[in-house]
Amino acid sequence: MSVVEGTLTGTLTMATPLLLGALGENIVERAGVVNVGLEGMMLLGAFAATMGARQSGNPYLGVAVAAGIGVLTALLFAAFAIKLTANQVVIGVVMNLLALGVTGTAYRALFGTTGSFVETAALPRLLWDQTLLTPLALLAVPAVWWGLFRTRLGLELRACGEQPVAAEAAGVNVARLRTAALAFGGAMAGIAGAFLSVGETNTFKEDMTAGRGFIALAIVTAGRWNPYGCLAAALIFGFADALQIRWQALGWNLPYQLFLALPYIVTLAILALGGRASQAPAALGQPYRRA
Amino acid sequence: MRSAREAATTDGPPQAQPNNGVPLLEMVGIVKRYGPTLALNGVDLAVRAGEIHALLGENGAGKSTLMHVLSGLTHADAGEIRLWGHPVRIPSPRAARALGIAMVHQHFTLAPAFTVAENLALDSARGPGSGLPLGTFAAREAAAPALERAAALGWQLDPDARIADLSVGTQQRVEIVKALATQARLLIFDEPTAVLSGDEVEELFQVLRRLREEGHAVILIAHKLAEILAVADTVTVLRRGNRVASCPVAETDARQLATWMIGVSPDSPHPLSPSSGGPHPPAPFPTRSSLAREGRDPTWDDCGPHPRPLSRSVGEGRDLTPAPSPSQGEGRRQAGSPPSLIGRGAGGLGATPGKGAGGLGQTQAKEAEEPGAAAAFAARDILVRGDRGEVAIRGLSLEVARGEILGIGGVDGNGQTELAEALIGLRPIEAGTLSWEGGPFRAGVSPTTGYIPQDRRRVGLAVGMTVEDNLLFEAVRAPQFRRGPFLRRKALQRLASDLIRAFDVRTPSRTLPVSALSGGNQQKVVVARALHANPHWIVAVNPTRGLDIGATRFVHEQLRQARARGAAIVLISTDLDEIAALADRAAILSGGRLHPYQVSEVDQTQLGLLLGGLGAEQAAPPDKPSAAGETA
Amino acid sequence: MSVRSETPGVPEIPAPLAGQPPGETTPPAWPLRALRALAQGLGYAAGLLALMSLTFLALRINPITALMALWEGAFGNASSGHLYPLSETLVKTSPLLLTGLGIVVAWRAGLFSIGAEGQLLMGALSAAALARFASSLPGPLLTLLMILAAMAAGALWGAIAGWLRVRRNVQEVISTIMLNYIALALVGWMVRGPLQERARISPQSEPVPDAALFARIIPPAWSGGIPTRLHSGVLLAFLAAIVVYLYLYYTAAGFGLRVVGQNPEAARAARFPVPKLRMQAMAISGALCGLAGGVELLGIAIRLYDNFSPGWGYTAIPVALLGGLHPLGTVLSALFFGALTAGSGNLERFSGVPSVVINIIQAAAVLAVVGVRAWRARRAGSAED
Repeated sequence: MSVVEGTLTGTLTMATPLLLGALGENIVERAGVVNVGLEGMMLLGAFAATMGARQSGNPYLGVAVAAGIGVLTALLFAAFAIKLTANQVVIGVVMNLLALGVTGTAYRALFGTTGSFVETAALPRLLWDQTLLTPLALLAVPAVWWGLFRTRLGLELRACGEQPVAAEAAGVNVARLRTAALAFGGAMAGIAGAFLSVGETNTFKEDMTAGRGFIALAIVTAGRWNPYGCLAAALIFGFADALQIRWQALGWNLPYQLFLALPYIVTLAILALGGRASQAPAALGQPYRRA
Repeated sequence: MRSAREAATTDGPPQAQPNNGVPLLEMVGIVKRYGPTLALNGVDLAVRAGEIHALLGENGAGKSTLMHVLSGLTHADAGEIRLWGHPVRIPSPRAARALGIAMVHQHFTLAPAFTVAENLALDSARGPGSGLPLGTFAAREAAAPALERAAALGWQLDPDARIADLSVGTQQRVEIVKALATQARLLIFDEPTAVLSGDEVEELFQVLRRLREEGHAVILIAHKLAEILAVADTVTVLRRGNRVASCPVAETDARQLATWMIGVSPDSPHPLSPSSGGPHPPAPFPTRSSLAREGRDPTWDDCGPHPRPLSRSVGEGRDLTPAPSPSQGEGRRQAGSPPSLIGRGAGGLGATPGKGAGGLGQTQAKEAEEPGAAAAFAARDILVRGDRGEVAIRGLSLEVARGEILGIGGVDGNGQTELAEALIGLRPIEAGTLSWEGGPFRAGVSPTTGYIPQDRRRVGLAVGMTVEDNLLFEAVRAPQFRRGPFLRRKALQRLASDLIRAFDVRTPSRTLPVSALSGGNQQKVVVARALHANPHWIVAVNPTRGLDIGATRFVHEQLRQARARGAAIVLISTDLDEIAALADRAAILSGGRLHPYQVSEVDQTQLGLLLGGLGAEQAAPPDKPSAAGETA
Repeated sequence: MSVRSETPGVPEIPAPLAGQPPGETTPPAWPLRALRALAQGLGYAAGLLALMSLTFLALRINPITALMALWEGAFGNASSGHLYPLSETLVKTSPLLLTGLGIVVAWRAGLFSIGAEGQLLMGALSAAALARFASSLPGPLLTLLMILAAMAAGALWGAIAGWLRVRRNVQEVISTIMLNYIALALVGWMVRGPLQERARISPQSEPVPDAALFARIIPPAWSGGIPTRLHSGVLLAFLAAIVVYLYLYYTAAGFGLRVVGQNPEAARAARFPVPKLRMQAMAISGALCGLAGGVELLGIAIRLYDNFSPGWGYTAIPVALLGGLHPLGTVLSALFFGALTAGSGNLERFSGVPSVVINIIQAAAVLAVVGVRAWRARRAGSAED
């Protein structure tokens, strides 16, 4: 495989979990919730997928288990952040901590001490070295866009993020819709995690998400809360990642870390300089209490 | 007749079938209590289809509460609501919608980032039991019927325009179309003209008339008499939770409405000593309220013109600055000193120079002797914008002398908050000037300022902090309480304890969260903070709203004492009794401008006319004024 | 002290544990109050113990053995001595305390920064850079300059997020995530580029000159010949807690900051300079986190490398929350987290329970506190209606 080809397939591989997580978070943030716990949900998904794949021998079932765990975690998040209207950032941070503790403890309890290597069945590579999840993630982009901008549900969901009072006045149950959005985001995060453990690799490692959840959060912002924007941002972040691996092979004499930081700097610049189009949903992060 | 026919053709809710001769809406004996206060005391209201029914009353008269009951936002303690003669229950806003009741709010319920089409689509045609709304759906298509409705009203709304980019008037159109799209038969307009310009008002009236012709019932919450006379068919007047009158607009006039709205006191001029420097008598308890409490009402169902003659004409001037301008003459000459907003006896615009140098201590005694000798604070032609960018105050001028309280009355939403913030330099003025004792006005510094904001829980207090902390917002920045960057905590604690005692804040401890106090005690905290440092310039907005009698008296006494100390004070209040009790000079703020009146001589009818946005000249002829759009 | 805010624009600030419970109206005299505070403290301790026991039970671990192992790991026992484990607990406390204080300052101003990690890294980075390029300076001067550089870099990183919020209305939650990763990338580049050790073998910086390092406080003779790692920088962390306490409660600026966090509208009406105070809060928050990075470099790490921080900046948020967003409460909760960290190694050694289990305990503790508070606030709210 040539370097160029390798970089391109590598970009897809790196971008897939970011895109999956970001698409879910896009829906969540459009509904007015910021889920800092995305990282933890992905980590739990990665672990759950490994367990599911091991128990059933079928990696696809592992992915399904991961999605289910993602939904459950999201519901826990919703119980605190939506039902009890606690601060979303607090709950998100706690979710990350919880995921780190649960996956680490359970993994070592089941498979012994650090460093042991547990192989599971992995998703088969179909085309261009990609698993089924990559085309699914790509197809999810127009689907999410359609859902957000071409369905009544999407309109109502966006109303929850822009002006919850108006949504409620129009007969929308804001709390329920936000919870549903979180459940979707949790499922996508779970699948994104599964991609790491049974797609890209065939094993689980502690803290294997390594910040990808946070990157997915950044991608939603960089993509201006639009699925196609998320796709573009995920490909850019993925490309930066893929290039990093091949940096040496390319023989470039540039510090690749600076290149890695570039997408973040560009995102910040967009936010700082961008006009209205770059603005977040107006009610993002605000708990909604019914009058 | 028309109403019944029209309604019969539409598919009304099953429990509300049209019925010949029966009003579309009847509210009977509606009672609503909030704690000890009786917000609605058995109010009746009947509205027919094909009728524009105005609901008139001062702030606190019960208009909003009644409409909240009707739109399902609150529940009545007693009484019955009937639609087409059938009793109905309205437990929620959603239920109200299902019954065909829609409200056009003063503060729009639109999502600013959405397009017109998206906002209309969100609200329209969400049929009950439509299941998971996942079918393909374009906002423009869903909004099409609403947009057609708009076109039928003569409005070309751009479906792709973002709400935030539209003018306030256009936003209101979207809001109206949104309400119409719910198949509502009964439309409630909450002070719809408050945010509109003159031309827009006339266009809105055309639409209201159009809706009437289509057989809708329209309830118009209003306080501008000219508007009511111009567009309404019937008017119901509320005062202090009671229905005062209800009659066809054709059988009444502005002065009659004004009298109903304000009530009539047996001895019209308020018993206030004209002097102001000396100690003032405790607040004389307002006669209007006592009347209302006793339930006597001399004007009940009296549709004839009110007999009381105008005791004096009210200043025609929109510009209240004194200036010895030629236009000031005629109308005012007849009665006493002209009701201008400069200090009594002031020679004109300029405050005396050379006075600014002295500190409060020096000037205090002098002020007490000859109060208001010259204006201390002056605002000239100021233009102030509200938070939405609309012009809230347009070309307003006023002056206040030391030892003087200028009372500014008016119905909420006429720019009170914007004016107050501009007067203390908290909100930038876009045009005009502020000055203090002839010199430049430096916000918070020259003069020292005390501010009692309108909404204590939202703006006045940090409710999660302690009583002590809330008392010290100002003091922590005063040099005498600082040692380098550090606070003199002991001194501050002593100050807080002193203030709690001096201002009679009933709290078991100064370290209690202020949220644990009663409303009256919370307000005492706000007042203590604003006044304890003896500021030279004080602006108070509705300082006694929601307080009981004792707390009200206390706050009034504090303002009087501040006046006696020589402070210049502006009291902005929707409670005209409060202004009558405290103010040396008074004006009504209406449409972003001031209309002066004399507290000691003003006639209740005139007050009502002023509140209703009418100057003397409009009020004079007994017949219905034809100037429909007279709102400026 | 802080209650859910009334304005819709401001997210809720979790209230300190030490504050008055919301429903209370008549505080008794001080001895009674002290007693009550003590009882409350004991209550929280009991709650934490119960929570930990439950966690262990859920993992099918004997809670008594596990708790004992944790305790001995953090505080030692009679046979092997207390000094070493205690010193380790303090060493582990220091970065959590400093970053936790940083979170306290930002969150009390109503800014929900999660940028402590990036600010810490920037602090360590600039201190390491100074050590590299000014290594000829006399030791104490270099130490001082490194600390100042660390604080300045952290403050800058915080101020960027503050500026974005105040002038550009960019939510700090989002901007600080970006800044964290930019800092991470900067460190990654520096330890492979300009700051890499002279041998150019590993991606790490040259060690800080010995003369500049923080002194080890406990002579090895006291701890039975085992050298302890307790360094003078730890004292700096506790000193910082006092400084933050004084700043928040004894200065006008700190007072203004608390008002802004409680109710920005009221702060504006009372003429507090809201944008300036927010910028200040982010800068101070960043300086404290940057200091954490500098202290860790000078006290323990000696070099800068890729995984310099094991996520202190993120753990700081639970630390601050459990400390009731109060600087002195944060001292206690940082000690608790530090003891857990120090004890978890012992737990793993003797009972095979992985040390990451403490993350679950920390998460559960914060969830319990947040949940109870939110539930109470809801109940109080519904009682008012």
